Amino acid sequence: MKKIVIVEDEAAIRENYIDVLKKHGYNVQGYDNRPDAQAAFEQNLPDLAIIDIGLQNEIDGGFSLCQSLRALSPTVPIIFLTARDSDFDTVCGLRMGADDYLTKDTSLPHLMARIAALFRRSDLLATPTEQETLIERGSLTIDKNKMQIFWNKELVELTVTEFWMVYALAKRPGHVKSRHDLMDEAQVVVDDSTITSHVKRIRKKFLQYDDSFDCINTVYGMGYRWGS
Amino acid sequence: MPKFRIGLRIKVILISSFLLTLPWVGYKYILEMEKLLRQGQEQTLVGTTRAVATALNERPKLFSTQASFLQSVRKGRDLYAYELQNPITLNGQLMDWTDYDDKMVHYGREYVQFSRRPYNQNSISFRHLVGKYEGYLYAAFEVTDSSPILRRKNSVRVDRNDHLIIAMTSPDGEFFRYVVSAHADGWVNAWQITNDITDSSGLILQSQIQGYWRTTDKGYNIELRLPLSFLGNKLGFAFYDVNNAQNREIDTIIGTSNTSHLNRLGTVLVPSPEIEKILKGMGHTSTRIWVIDRHQRVLAQTGDIQESNGVWSSSVKYADNDGSWWSTIEKNILHPLYYRYLISEPTEFVDSLKDAALVKGVHVSQALNGRGYSHWRQSEDGKAMILAAAYPIWLGDNVMGAVIAEESTAGIQTLRNRAMEQLFNAILAIIAIGTITLFLFASKISSRIRRLRDEAEQAIDSQGRIQQLISPTKDTDEIGDLSRSLAAMVGRLGQYNHYLENLSSRLSHELRTPVAVVRSSIENLAMHSQDEDSLRYIARAQDGVHRLSTILSSMTEATRIEQSLQGAEKERFPLNELVTGCMQGYQMAYPHQTFDVQTETSDIFIFGAPDYLAQLLDKLIANAEDFSNDKDAIEVSLIQQGSSAILTVGNYGPLLPENMSDQLLNSMVSVRSQQKQTKPHLGLGLFIARLITQYHHGDIQLRNRIDNQGVEVVVTFPIQIIEN
Repeated sequence: MKKIVIVEDEAAIRENYIDVLKKHGYNVQGYDNRPDAQAAFEQNLPDLAIIDIGLQNEIDGGFSLCQSLRALSPTVPIIFLTARDSDFDTVCGLRMGADDYLTKDTSLPHLMARIAALFRRSDLLATPTEQETLIERGSLTIDKNKMQIFWNKELVELTVTEFWMVYALAKRPGHVKSRHDLMDEAQVVVDDSTITSHVKRIRKKFLQYDDSFDCINTVYGMGYRWGS
Repeated sequence: MPKFRIGLRIKVILISSFLLTLPWVGYKYILEMEKLLRQGQEQTLVGTTRAVATALNERPKLFSTQASFLQSVRKGRDLYAYELQNPITLNGQLMDWTDYDDKMVHYGREYVQFSRRPYNQNSISFRHLVGKYEGYLYAAFEVTDSSPILRRKNSVRVDRNDHLIIAMTSPDGEFFRYVVSAHADGWVNAWQITNDITDSSGLILQSQIQGYWRTTDKGYNIELRLPLSFLGNKLGFAFYDVNNAQNREIDTIIGTSNTSHLNRLGTVLVPSPEIEKILKGMGHTSTRIWVIDRHQRVLAQTGDIQESNGVWSSSVKYADNDGSWWSTIEKNILHPLYYRYLISEPTEFVDSLKDAALVKGVHVSQALNGRGYSHWRQSEDGKAMILAAAYPIWLGDNVMGAVIAEESTAGIQTLRNRAMEQLFNAILAIIAIGTITLFLFASKISSRIRRLRDEAEQAIDSQGRIQQLISPTKDTDEIGDLSRSLAAMVGRLGQYNHYLENLSSRLSHELRTPVAVVRSSIENLAMHSQDEDSLRYIARAQDGVHRLSTILSSMTEATRIEQSLQGAEKERFPLNELVTGCMQGYQMAYPHQTFDVQTETSDIFIFGAPDYLAQLLDKLIANAEDFSNDKDAIEVSLIQQGSSAILTVGNYGPLLPENMSDQLLNSMVSVRSQQKQTKPHLGLGLFIARLITQYHHGDIQLRNRIDNQGVEVVVTFPIQIIEN
């Protein structure tokens, strides 16, 4: 049974999440402050951690908790769940090594889907890649099962949200995906400008591997499309 | 009507113009001083006359010979020997007497002593004057005689022709008579008459009495000279006129007085050398002094009025010209200025004695009545004031004469002028320094206030946002206080504004957690409940929560955009392509809305962030679509004007509320009517548009269309200049 740790100082939310996750058959442990969670991590690593950024009197307690957990294990999936939704926080959280960043607006089904996806990815990482799950688009290779994306055979580190977006675009090259479409595909409820900044971040990640990457085109007023 | 603005500086200058009363006060003061000086001068002058009079008091000898004891003096009968200024040449032409022409006495009908026939003016009359020059008495006669009869060559008789009889007393009081008659024009001598004139043997030639006889058109002229030593205090002249050359009878006798008898002889007054000596001895006063007898005839005089300025000339001299720059300025600039406009210089004037035989004036009559007196009078030509003082000379209880002293006021005037020069210099300096100081002071204050005003104006922009804080000054005065309180005020306002601007994001942040609680609870409930009714309520609750979170996220949109704009990267791209592309998208997004798009065919390059510009266009189109009448097209145009790209989005529909167009661009200002509220509107759309425009250094304006059928938004961007 997968073990999930929720670090959230708001009791009602924590309890709700714990209830849902337990119903889905996870072993859930909840903490409301950083030191307790820290101690628990050191004793026993969870399979997945959902961490709030602001923890009681520590404004950035979630960030430091994420850092120390990442230090303990480089592979355990970490999801930031927060009321904050500024770009700055998003970038910070992802730099700390989080796998995804969700606002508390995210509905529970979305959250569950994300958790399931993350587990699938971490589970399948060990198994060999099955050829039929691979999608090839020029230099791009998508492993749908492992939720991994390769550019010129090199792995591009993407969050689940980002993976789903790239997947949605690359699935049908040349087809324009509106921001709303991308939102649905990535199972998030955010505003347009957040989608814009997600796309920007994705472009930057690809540019790290290829200076001439320009496959994600902006179609002004409509959305984005994958061009080759 | 244009309203004149009077600045602080001008006000201070106007107030400082009260300094101009200083010269007036100084001027008044100097005039008072001058009055005082004049009084002093009056006193001094009266003192001078008193001193001179005292020297002459109780000296009967001086006056006994001067006919001063006469009760009355008759002009014409009693002669006055004028002090002649120039030597007289005896030539019968009377050229030397022209200066005294007005003083010549005309002897006519009144002076006729005997006439055979009724007197005729043309028959005989004469004008006459006596004068004194260096020990001689000179006499001039201008005789009008219709028929001058001269003495026959061989005649011994001197009385059978026109002749002149001179009668006088010697200094000893002896009575002498002389006759002057001529054979022809030329030198003549007087003959003393010892017995009778008809007795030619009784005539003794007196060569000391010389004369010149010259026949003229009207008659003849005679000039005579006799030594003063011959002369006592009585003198008379008489002409015996003969008209008939045949019988040579005396027709008319006309003369100054009766020359036949000592008692009837008129007097003569010769200016007294003794008194003059005394006057000269009185010292070299800078005063014109006359001594007159009780008949107002001048006995002696000394001094010149031109030199009599009443003060010691040394006291009005300028300090040595040291050639310094100040004295040069003073001499070349200030003094000409003063004397041209402010100060009058003492002018040249003429004042001569009108008639030494009859000096007139209030002071004279007062002095002759025994009272010292002084008064001011104008000079003869009216150009200067002359101070005249008179004081009586006593002999016993009788006033024997008077001493008259006169001085001009030139000295005092010069003193006054000196004082005024100094005053004007000082006042000029005070006014200049005072005005400059005040002006600088006012300028300083005014510039400080203006700086404060500018800061205050710049502190808050037209949309009421705090642009920059006011930097408080450290000055301890009221303006410093004002600056500090303004700075504090703007600071507090800024804090409040900041609070307001952050209110939505703070609020949304705070609301997110409870919304998440509600949402997660409902979703949990939805998983449990299978009840039909419950599911329906849950669905409604979920819908409400969804809307709530949409509101929350749009509340923070502006803040997020502001933050993300800070990190946005600009690039050079064609704006027209962006507009065209977006418009195609909008046509798909709003299938029921028609769009009328006009863009330039050539590329309009701007330097900016295309994503945000697309977002800007989103907001403008969404806004236009909300307000547009459904059947009318939304007009979008992009044109290049100079170095600006102008993007206009216009729609037909309701007009802007009055005076709200600027505020609509502010955060959380919305004027939507209630019917339109199908979606949550926080009035952030145009605010976000403004943020993006400002980020691109552009300008956004909201206004009613010219045809008043709707509203248009005009966004202006600077164009990126293409570099080759």
